[in-house]
Amino acid sequence: MPGLLPPRAGIVLIAVFAVAAPGDAQAPRGKADAGGLPAPTPELERGRAVYVLSSCHFCHGVDLTGAQMGATDLMHSPLIAADQNGNVIGPVVRAGKPNLQTAMPSYPDLTSQEIADLAAYVHYLRRQGRYRELTMDGDDQGDARAGETYFNANCAACHSKSGDLTGVAAKYGGAALRARVLRPSDDRAPTGTDRTAVGRLQHGKLLERYAPADVRNLISFLRER
Amino acid sequence: MILTRREFGKVLAAAPLAAGAAQQQRLLYSINGVGIGLETFSFHDLPPAADPRLIPTIISNMREIGIGECEIMSGHIEPWPTIATGWWVQSRRAPGFQQLREDARRWRLSVPMSYYANIRKQFEDAGLRIYLYNVNFNETFTDEERDKTFEAAKALGAAGFSSSTVISEARRLVPFVERHKMFVAMHNHNNLVDPDQFATPQSFETALALSPYFKATLDIGHFVAGNNDPVAFIRKHHDRTVNIHVRDRKRNNGPNRPFGQGDTPIAEVLRLIRDQKYPIRCYLEYEYGSFRSSVDEVKTCLDYCRRVLA
Repeated sequence: MPGLLPPRAGIVLIAVFAVAAPGDAQAPRGKADAGGLPAPTPELERGRAVYVLSSCHFCHGVDLTGAQMGATDLMHSPLIAADQNGNVIGPVVRAGKPNLQTAMPSYPDLTSQEIADLAAYVHYLRRQGRYRELTMDGDDQGDARAGETYFNANCAACHSKSGDLTGVAAKYGGAALRARVLRPSDDRAPTGTDRTAVGRLQHGKLLERYAPADVRNLISFLRER
Repeated sequence: MILTRREFGKVLAAAPLAAGAAQQQRLLYSINGVGIGLETFSFHDLPPAADPRLIPTIISNMREIGIGECEIMSGHIEPWPTIATGWWVQSRRAPGFQQLREDARRWRLSVPMSYYANIRKQFEDAGLRIYLYNVNFNETFTDEERDKTFEAAKALGAAGFSSSTVISEARRLVPFVERHKMFVAMHNHNNLVDPDQFATPQSFETALALSPYFKATLDIGHFVAGNNDPVAFIRKHHDRTVNIHVRDRKRNNGPNRPFGQGDTPIAEVLRLIRDQKYPIRCYLEYEYGSFRSSVDEVKTCLDYCRRVLA
């Protein structure tokens, strides 16, 4: 996270990691329709409307899993990982991909707000899916040295193993520790500019980008005495 | 298996007779002489491949909508996800694809024809007909697999194939259509970059010149999205066009839209077929976005066709 955070944001991230509940609190509520489950906030529900009414779900899946007809797997696409507020997703959606075998349609009429809503929803689905996927891994035997390297590059600006994270491995065993690492707070709508929102945003980005080995390595590092 | 106009009329008239007396009153095969059916791709909320509920759900959906004839996707017949067909080039790079493709091939070569005959029976017992088997032939097929697929279509009771394929594969299929005396109707998308794809009038004409058993399944929505004119195509090639896929897209590779809201001249095409008495079946294909069920949306598509053909 170095270079991505405003001054003092680390303090907030420490607080988020330490006190917030793990993520099952953000499970969507309500009855599923042809576009999947309702989103948990009005903002994300706007994005779901764009996603479904543009028929993205027919090829990319209602929850980004089960991509069909040769469509890109948005759950693992590096383009989605690189997107910030629709800056990558928007141009692709507006222009379409006419050179694909069955040509992804273009959506030139979507407004900037609709693109932003769509991107937020895609990132939400991706965090949900990646969380499920990574919690199912179950293997916590990683490389502690690699975990330390990852921690120093991505976490140390806000966290310290001998500071805010002292005793975290003893406090949370097994699956609970993994859940805390993946989603220390409710990140259903990581928007806004306040420090808590920034912390949620950064953890959400990490969740979208973790490789399974990254998580194993981090857990091994945190467990190491 | 190639029908003249007169034979086409007889098929339309006879189809309901094949069904039970109670069923025939509710199932629709034509509107004012225009053959109506659906592409089972329209059902986006089906159980997955190999699920025993899949075929019964398709049958139940068709009966609820009241349409008696369909073009059924191989992904709804074979117990494999559709990527196992090898059609989508992008999917061939996916991890595990080669094994999946090999497993599907082995299954195709070993499955008894009674498997397909049983599916046909389920449809016929419900008063429904599989008119076209939608198989996306491609270079990953072996010759033995192509032969088996033709046998499968016959066992399903299909008159022929609809196929999203490419011109190079059409060349390979010539001896198969000649030997089996069964047509393959080429289905277009709107990729204008790859000259091997079916997307333009010229691409269809290249295939149609290869064999009299090659036909067209003109997807009028995709055709318009590729900035082509479906009315002109049908006027020119009505004798080689087996069916059309009725959908509404915007021009310039634009999105699918509810019927009547895109740039596709659905009404003009349907009325042309009606007024000229072309033996071209019109199969609904629902693919625009909605929160409603596929069944509800196909009903809406059908209502639109009823209105424009009234």
